[in-house]
Amino acid sequence: MMPKRVIVLCYRKIIGLNAVKAWDKMVFESSYLEFKMQAQNFSVGTEYTSYAELLHNLPGARRLNGMVTPSVTGYVQQLNGIMPDLLNNLGRRFLTFKKFKLEIINSDIIDMAKHQVAISFYSEPMVWHDTIGDFLLVSDHLPENQLPGENNKAITNLIQIQPYLNISSLQYLN
Amino acid sequence: MERKSFLKSLVIGTIAAPVLVEACKKDTDVATTTSSSSGSSSSGSSSSGSTDTGTCSVVPTETEGPYPTHSPASYVRSNITDDRTGYKLTVKITINNSNNSCAALSGALVDIWHCDAAGNYSEYGGSGTQSTNYTSVHFLRGRQTTDANGLVTFTSIFPGWYTGRATHIHVHVYNSTGTSLKVTQIAFPEGTGTALTAVNGYAKGMTGYTYNANDNVFSDGYSLELASVTGNTTDGFVLTISLSVPA
Repeated sequence: MMPKRVIVLCYRKIIGLNAVKAWDKMVFESSYLEFKMQAQNFSVGTEYTSYAELLHNLPGARRLNGMVTPSVTGYVQQLNGIMPDLLNNLGRRFLTFKKFKLEIINSDIIDMAKHQVAISFYSEPMVWHDTIGDFLLVSDHLPENQLPGENNKAITNLIQIQPYLNISSLQYLN
Repeated sequence: MERKSFLKSLVIGTIAAPVLVEACKKDTDVATTTSSSSGSSSSGSSSSGSTDTGTCSVVPTETEGPYPTHSPASYVRSNITDDRTGYKLTVKITINNSNNSCAALSGALVDIWHCDAAGNYSEYGGSGTQSTNYTSVHFLRGRQTTDANGLVTFTSIFPGWYTGRATHIHVHVYNSTGTSLKVTQIAFPEGTGTALTAVNGYAKGMTGYTYNANDNVFSDGYSLELASVTGNTTDGFVLTISLSVPA
């Protein structure tokens, strides 16, 4: 019998000035305000305004990722544990997550247009059954899936391999 | 502790930096190229990794979910205690505008943070991933907006202390758009009959405590940063202070 492949999918969602969806815009604005506020704890007494300058000159500024995160938590919670954007081949969102990571890509205390963040969503463990074309055939990795359940049947989804979607971990289970 | 490492980071700041900037640059470049190509995905059928390209992200073929509602940063709360234990402390800070005859400043954002009874600060989430149901990651940190009288009120615990510093509360005042107006710290009265003496450093006691006169922040004068603190260990304490900021 083939060992079972259990994977975690990571979707890195980039949000910047051009955000169009309501959720994306709110995350953009909220994370920018928080960046601006928190970054001034580091920039005080300096002339630095960009995230890159702050990192370059004050390595402690790396903490800004964690400091800005509480500004998006409420929005992430509003997703109710289903990843945005990523659809199965029927056009529905289905990937569940409990963990996320906010990352500041670029920003500037005096220029909102420079602000760009990424939110990485980490899926719950999934079984990767097969690959069909550029689609992965996956199902939730539930404890009962490990048992030879009803006819060994699993509810599956096809998800296309696409930019910003990564298999972030792989585990073989016998 | 936090301040110390911050100061230290100023000193070692110049090393390692080019790497960081390079890394950052690279990341941006990658993001730009891929996002322009993601819209014209070769297979065409259901590429859905929507980014901020805006023009051609595939709309989910499903009933539109509940519209997102405005959700302030989770720092915004009046009770910042979370799971920390200690003597209750109500913090009342009044902000007035030194550029406007010291009139009350309404609509200002006030962040405060301080250490717990043992002298430890909360982390800001760290560098790992967050769980969506995480709480208490930023204990003893909070934000309020000043009312018409320039007042914000927080519920917390009386701070402990750590080596090298007198008991203090950090305050950062911003205008309503988030522009910094003042970063300062609140000092506590010392001596017989004061709250500091009543709390007596919690489990640590006061051996090795740094008093205001020897504190590296307060020793150059702290009359404008000195709060008034009333109350007792049974009913809790109330701290009041007025801070003038140029707005």
